[in-house]
Amino acid sequence: MAELYVKPGNKERGWNDPPQFSYGLQTQAGGPKRTPLTKRVAAPQDGSPRVPISETSPGASPMGPPPLSSKASRPPPVGSCPASTVEPTNFPVIECETLLEDVLKPLEQALEDCRGHTKKQVCDDISRRLALLQEQWAGGKLSTPVKKRMALLVQELSSHQWDAADDIHRSLMVDHVTEVSQWMVGVKRLIAEKRSLSSEEAKEEKSTATAEEHQTVPGVQRAP
Amino acid sequence: MATYLEFIQQNEERDGVRFSWNVWPSSRLEATRMVVPLACLLTPLKERPDLPPVQYEPVLCSRPTCKAILNPLCQVDYRAKLWACNFCFQRNQFPPTYTGISEVNQPAELMPQFSTIEYMIQRGPQSPLIFLYVVDTCLEEEDLQALKESLQMSLSLLPPDALVGLITFGRMVQVHELSCEGISKSFVFRGTKDLTAKQIQDMLGLTTPAVPVQQARPQELPFVSSRFLQPVQKIDMNLTDLLGELQRDPWPVPQGKRPLRSTGVALSIAVGLLEGTFPNTGARIMLFTGGPPTQGPGMVVGDELKVPIRSWHDIEKDNARLMKKATKHYEMLANRTATNGHCIDIYACALDQTGLLEMKCCANLTGGHMVMGDSFNTSLFKQTFQRIFSKDFNGDFRMAFGATLEVKTSRELKVAGAIGPCVSLNVKGPCVSENELGVGGTSQWKICGLDPTSTLGIYFEVVNQHNAPIPQGGRGAIQFVTQYQHSSTQRRIRVTTVARNWADAQSQLRHIEAAFDQEAAAVLMARLGVFRAESEEGPDVLRWLDRQLIRLCQKFGQYNKEDPTSFRLSDSFSLYPQFMFHLRRSPFLQVFNNSPDESSYYRHHFARQDLTQSLIMIQPILYSYSFHGPPEPVLLDSSSILADRILLMDTFFQIVIYLGETIAQWRKAGYQDMPEYENFKHLLQAPLDDAQEILQARFPMPRYINTEHGGSQARFLLSKVNPSQTHNNLYTWGQETGAPILTDDVSLQVFMDHLKKLAVSSAC
Repeated sequence: MAELYVKPGNKERGWNDPPQFSYGLQTQAGGPKRTPLTKRVAAPQDGSPRVPISETSPGASPMGPPPLSSKASRPPPVGSCPASTVEPTNFPVIECETLLEDVLKPLEQALEDCRGHTKKQVCDDISRRLALLQEQWAGGKLSTPVKKRMALLVQELSSHQWDAADDIHRSLMVDHVTEVSQWMVGVKRLIAEKRSLSSEEAKEEKSTATAEEHQTVPGVQRAP
Repeated sequence: MATYLEFIQQNEERDGVRFSWNVWPSSRLEATRMVVPLACLLTPLKERPDLPPVQYEPVLCSRPTCKAILNPLCQVDYRAKLWACNFCFQRNQFPPTYTGISEVNQPAELMPQFSTIEYMIQRGPQSPLIFLYVVDTCLEEEDLQALKESLQMSLSLLPPDALVGLITFGRMVQVHELSCEGISKSFVFRGTKDLTAKQIQDMLGLTTPAVPVQQARPQELPFVSSRFLQPVQKIDMNLTDLLGELQRDPWPVPQGKRPLRSTGVALSIAVGLLEGTFPNTGARIMLFTGGPPTQGPGMVVGDELKVPIRSWHDIEKDNARLMKKATKHYEMLANRTATNGHCIDIYACALDQTGLLEMKCCANLTGGHMVMGDSFNTSLFKQTFQRIFSKDFNGDFRMAFGATLEVKTSRELKVAGAIGPCVSLNVKGPCVSENELGVGGTSQWKICGLDPTSTLGIYFEVVNQHNAPIPQGGRGAIQFVTQYQHSSTQRRIRVTTVARNWADAQSQLRHIEAAFDQEAAAVLMARLGVFRAESEEGPDVLRWLDRQLIRLCQKFGQYNKEDPTSFRLSDSFSLYPQFMFHLRRSPFLQVFNNSPDESSYYRHHFARQDLTQSLIMIQPILYSYSFHGPPEPVLLDSSSILADRILLMDTFFQIVIYLGETIAQWRKAGYQDMPEYENFKHLLQAPLDDAQEILQARFPMPRYINTEHGGSQARFLLSKVNPSQTHNNLYTWGQETGAPILTDDVSLQVFMDHLKKLAVSSAC
């Protein structure tokens, strides 16, 4: 689900800075890994290098063009690269723009649910950050991938998929920290509070359920 | 019968152990004649997805001086419910819980496939992991901003119940109080005055636990968190704001001066804070710095820009005025930290040196990370930092804390020392050798911070007397017991018990020779060499390595006296000389062209990586891509640099992609964009994909160099390949193949010629 992309490193600040991998690429569970490149060739015992069999293939003189692609001469395919250069932003936009209300409303609703359960000061703090999110979104400061992933996060939150929501929050922090760092921590906290609220509710339900059970079957003795 | 290569590989996968010798010479005298010591590379916490921990405690041998752990090598009498210790031969009664055992109902630790087993210990309170950020604010605006964002990001990666703290420093040192209330308070310290742990704790208002250490927490004390260390989930919002509001150090920096940076005092306060509040609990002090310490204890260079930071030249001329005193300060801190069971990471990002040479002990003695980059606003830093918090197949963090490694040996062996990210626990015992190799004189070491790849070199001594019979049972055994705090905060014990056959070196030399692991031997000898290089002059170390290599060739080569052309080495030794050749040229032993900081950085990583990565560091990997077939490994030699090839070189610290002359011209002409030359496009892409795979797995992130024939960055490739063709011998080669290197360095061919001459000479 996470974004899968590689972007170039910051060559201005670091010489030969390596490319940057998205959170999704860093955490995805392996997949079919190619054999690691760790083989070595032993030098002949006299230490002299082997004379290569052929330096240039026939028909590929240094100045000539590379050999033509054809089924016969094509080099064997070298594995497939794990969707390395897929920028989600390049996808043709099928759905229309994610709407601020669609994201903000459920978050605010979740916050309302937590009031009473969570300390007022924490709620106010979350509320302040949601306002910041609203402001930045409305001010056009958020990029499309961030908006889209926020919509997904809200979906997961609404369907009580806490781990999935938390994971999207993490991917946004890793991939888009500059955009989201100031308010995302509020969303993070909201996910945590909502999760603990719902687990408490579940516990309560369970205890009432067992209580009822005890009422209906009062005579049954449980084995110790 | 499987080959030795398969045997070695299986053992490494199962036990995380690679021995230099897999059949052991049976006497002290013969063992010393083998030149390469009996030693092993041990990866104590090697990732084993197929090894779930068992939920009970290990059974110990009852002899007080032994206490070895029950293992598959023990003789068991199932009827009498007795087991004999394979180290001291003590007969032990099984504990009552084992009454049900029989030949068909064995506990896991007796099954041969559990030569490595992990126990989960239930007792004792669990305390959360601790992360204390120590942040330099004398950074450029852009760097500080990037660092702040990385730190904010890290709050999302930390375990929610982890404790986190923040110390910032510039001219002053600020210890920030973390609270959920709106007001942020901090304690300010002068950066010029060193304080004792007691003073620091008094000033911060931390009451040291009055209870003696032994009973520090027998009963579960209600968990007290200090104001300076709070659970992430409680203070993440405030800490995010606090980090967001961090400003550059406000003190003006006059023209021609360096900013005043109190790294020494900041670290001292961090160490003191944890020492007083959470001794013997898994904790990381993470130091982020963008320049050298310039004032107070631990100062590496003054603030006058006209006085440059020490170079190798200054050190050789004994002209590095501040080095010794600074090193002493950081060594004192490192030792205290190790005693407390905490570790120190150093993330140093600057274009100039930052004092890693003086500070290296902080990471080296405590098992902390050392990361060196140009700026905090680089992918190299950001991703390396993210990877600290990477998780394993179980969703657990790949970090462990406060480990004790104990080595037990059978009577014919003693342990001579260890080289790796550890400190000695000074535990003497019957299996400790008097001869030290690395950090010796003990059978136990402390590794305060480690991950699944952390690897130690452990060196042994055969003590069986010459002419004594081959020891009883024909096999010698070693047990490694690693007790540690798992990232889930459980205490765990990993036990690995291995055995190898003894052989009489006079009648069975061929057996011993065939069981030589040249890769392990090369890395183990290299670790000894690098360990020596920290205290001895470079040329002395090279001479020592050379002498060892010559002696090894004399012992195991086949040759006629005084006839170099007759010299041959068997397959199990054939790669060893070229490993030594490349090691001699490596930045681990050559300081030329490296700053003292760079040398410290390279050596830091060399002393902790596993065998595969260490070997890449010694002799980089070179792959060639062409239209002639699939990618193939090629000789690390100038003759491999051909016009119609693309090369991919991995030196561990750098990944280099090099396009040969013709390939570069084709690319320039844009053939890759023409549909009929799609194969060329694929050829260009293949090494990029392979490089990406390496980049995704490597820690720390390497530099990534894309270059071509004639490019200035081609020097990274040219400086690593064996210079078999140079400007000196170019015309003796009939045709022009490969790329001549402009160097006066000795080539592998010349090196081998000399080696053979010396090996076959009777004068040596």
